[in-house]
Amino acid sequence: MNNPHPILPSTRREFLHYGVKGVGLLAFSRFAPGFLVESAYAQAPAPEKDRTILVLVQLAGGNDGLNTVVPFADPHYRRLRPNLGLGSDQLLRINDTLAFHGACAALHELLKDGKLGIVQNVGYPNPNRSHFRSTEIWETGSDSNEFLPTGWLGRYFDNACSGTPRRGDPCGVNLGNEMPQSFLSEQQHPTFSLPAGRNRRQQSENLALLEQLVQTPAGHPDHDNAGYLRHTMMDALVTEKKFQKVLANYQTKAAYPGTPFAGSLRNVAALIAAGTATRVYYVSLGGFDTHNNQANAHANLLRQLSEGLAAFQSDLEAKRLDGQVLTMTFSEFGRRPSENESRGTDHGTAAPLFVLGSRVKPGLHGTAPSLDVARNQDLQYSTDFRAVYSTVLDQWLGCKSSAILGQDYRPLGFI
Amino acid sequence: MTMGQPPTVLTAAEAWQTLPVHEWNEAAARHLLQRIGFSAQPAELARVLKDGPVRSVERYFAKMPALPKPRMITNLEKHGPELFRRISAGSAEEKRMAQQEARERSREALFDLTIKWLTLASRPECSPAEKWLLFLSDVWVVGVDKVKNSALIYQHHDILRHFALSDAVSLAKAVSRSPAMVVYLDLQQSKPEAPNENFARELFELFTLGEGNYTENDIKQAARAFTGYRQRQGEFAFLPRQHDSGSKTLFGQTGRFTGDDVIRLVFKQKAAGTFLPKEMVRFYLSEEPLPAAYTDALGAWWAGEKYDLHKLAVKFFSSRLFFSPACRGGYIKSPLHFYLGLVQDLGLSVAPLPRQLIGNLRSMGQMPFDPPNVRGWVGGRSWINSATLASRRQLIQALLSPLNEEALNGDEQIELAAAYADGIRNFTLDQAQLTRWARLAPAERARELIQRHVPALAGTEIERQVVTFLERSAQHSRAETATRAALATLLESPSYQLC
Repeated sequence: MNNPHPILPSTRREFLHYGVKGVGLLAFSRFAPGFLVESAYAQAPAPEKDRTILVLVQLAGGNDGLNTVVPFADPHYRRLRPNLGLGSDQLLRINDTLAFHGACAALHELLKDGKLGIVQNVGYPNPNRSHFRSTEIWETGSDSNEFLPTGWLGRYFDNACSGTPRRGDPCGVNLGNEMPQSFLSEQQHPTFSLPAGRNRRQQSENLALLEQLVQTPAGHPDHDNAGYLRHTMMDALVTEKKFQKVLANYQTKAAYPGTPFAGSLRNVAALIAAGTATRVYYVSLGGFDTHNNQANAHANLLRQLSEGLAAFQSDLEAKRLDGQVLTMTFSEFGRRPSENESRGTDHGTAAPLFVLGSRVKPGLHGTAPSLDVARNQDLQYSTDFRAVYSTVLDQWLGCKSSAILGQDYRPLGFI
Repeated sequence: MTMGQPPTVLTAAEAWQTLPVHEWNEAAARHLLQRIGFSAQPAELARVLKDGPVRSVERYFAKMPALPKPRMITNLEKHGPELFRRISAGSAEEKRMAQQEARERSREALFDLTIKWLTLASRPECSPAEKWLLFLSDVWVVGVDKVKNSALIYQHHDILRHFALSDAVSLAKAVSRSPAMVVYLDLQQSKPEAPNENFARELFELFTLGEGNYTENDIKQAARAFTGYRQRQGEFAFLPRQHDSGSKTLFGQTGRFTGDDVIRLVFKQKAAGTFLPKEMVRFYLSEEPLPAAYTDALGAWWAGEKYDLHKLAVKFFSSRLFFSPACRGGYIKSPLHFYLGLVQDLGLSVAPLPRQLIGNLRSMGQMPFDPPNVRGWVGGRSWINSATLASRRQLIQALLSPLNEEALNGDEQIELAAAYADGIRNFTLDQAQLTRWARLAPAERARELIQRHVPALAGTEIERQVVTFLERSAQHSRAETATRAALATLLESPSYQLC
């Protein structure tokens, strides 16, 4: 950053430095971020750095499960996909019946290395085919006919984050332009959004300007609301500034592809490597709503997904952080088994999802769907998505899942 | 300054006098537009400045704009009877399917309604009336989470719209018959042998009088008077056989009162005159209530005017108190105010993309037609915390960057194509405008950006900082990129969250 004298301290040390320079702790503390004042007084302990972390990857639009993990040996597959069906030269075999889409070479490698689990045929009863509603069902962890005001991760924050001392690090970090519904909670928790992708230099300069603007009294400086806004904004900016510093200084140990998705994952790795106390990260990859001419678009998306995840995993391994991180994908629905008239696929139901990490039990979990369906009929799910959540909550995040999901689900064996 | 004390030197009698001509100026006109609407656009500002406060408010509140019934609401109503039949008579499986279909249709219809209403409200000449409607709906609250049927939500707002500028007594009577209200506050279940008190209680506490101005017995008696109110497939129905026509005593009066009689008695209470003005203070001016003497004075006058809502609006919005220094500059914009203000300030149209828009509004804390409870939105500082501030910043980023059309779902691309076909494409900041700004020298560019979007900052230290930022960015970034960044930062700053 060009500014040699940062206006806002971003660490406890910088903050204390202000004190001795005569700015005065108490004089400053009216607008000082609460956690810095607290920690300056209390000599707060260092953040715990060995907690488990969940990275959630949303495949927005509805990923075509049948062309991701392909049941190539099933004759029904050819019947349902006369044009979109993948030939053996476009497939990477998993076993005698299933194969990856050829664009998933990197995921295929991860599977062979024992780091990737595939949970097959995940869905829920009475499936909904609206993007909005089905996303909401996945994000809130509700039944198909139930409307919950909070997200499943928000309820996890309510359970796990309340009562812990404020340290400034958010409970959840979202990389994208819209706070995910998964994060909505009953109580207030610090959550944070970083713009997706890169362009860090511009971002840190924008931030420096915003910081100046927040510092500079304008309009009605004496008005209580103005003070309140400045105070709250500064709290948020301190976190953001700390994050920007982390992102700017991060040295990767892996070659990330140039896609915005991979850029977001790189930023997640940077924050994890910096020992951020955040337990949940949310990254989104959009464009899976492939109603027409699906073949190239879908291959391209799967390649982005696959190569991004592989770079992320290898970066974490090189930093010896891989044991701490579980990455999981989800999509609001799979797509219709029968292709449509436009060489695409329409909204469907169940689909496989991926779990990635060094402590994952690799290979296939759950059962594959039956493809013996009539034209335009949908797949019948065999694993409830909330069983996946409950496994993650109980066995990875160490939080009692029934408190979050309202009931018990039989755990799956992927951790 | 806050409003806990009497504002400046105005007495209660002076407070509601019309603003003297010599105090009318551009700053006052801007204050008027930002508070009764969502922003001060140059054309409106010039006209308001010329017309003065009384004529301007009279013009904005001359009549309510029409909001034609959105297509999806019509569809929902068309399918209503058939869905109702399947839900009440079908097999268990049939019933489940029909319920799901009803929910789907209702949700789609609500999205359609939301986009159509936001589009109407974003027209500067309609903003004050639509904000007034939002105000009334924040008093006479119904929520879609309980009502479930968006057609009733549309109808409820149509009732509010119809009576918004008439008198508060007629409005109250009409709203007590709103099918959405009948469902929302349980009149539907109220019977002579078991009167449900929910509506009667909120009528007194939250809609007309305020706490402390009625007794528990008044509620019990009023509940009896409202028995027999029903809604049948979206139509109000009064069932005489479900109505308790016996003698009731409330507010010290005895008679065989009906629901309308109760409303008539309510508006004989002194508190009925002060209640709505107090709500206006909260919604339009400040989280701090005014000292009682001020609202008492206005309430007494308003009761004498037979609770005329149009007269109340004109009096309130052109008063000396409304323009007093204590009432300026410190109001935290609600998420809807913030969003619609941005749309107007950036010269945009409301994008026909409910998923993004509703997601943004929800994460900022205000979904239209879906208040948290019967009290409505709390407002003020409760809008602001680290998560909602982050959401405000994200909204700005989204409106300043070109749409990423490839990431849209199929149905969204269809909506977008339809809008393009109608010649509407300004859903995010016009890149040509950005280029025009980028050609200006830093000092001139900073002045232009500030003058146009946050004029309160013109000539301040902040303007100088923006100039420095633009000069420094010129060394390594494209002028467009730096300009967009400077604009985003100005819109993210505390000043823009206030008006």
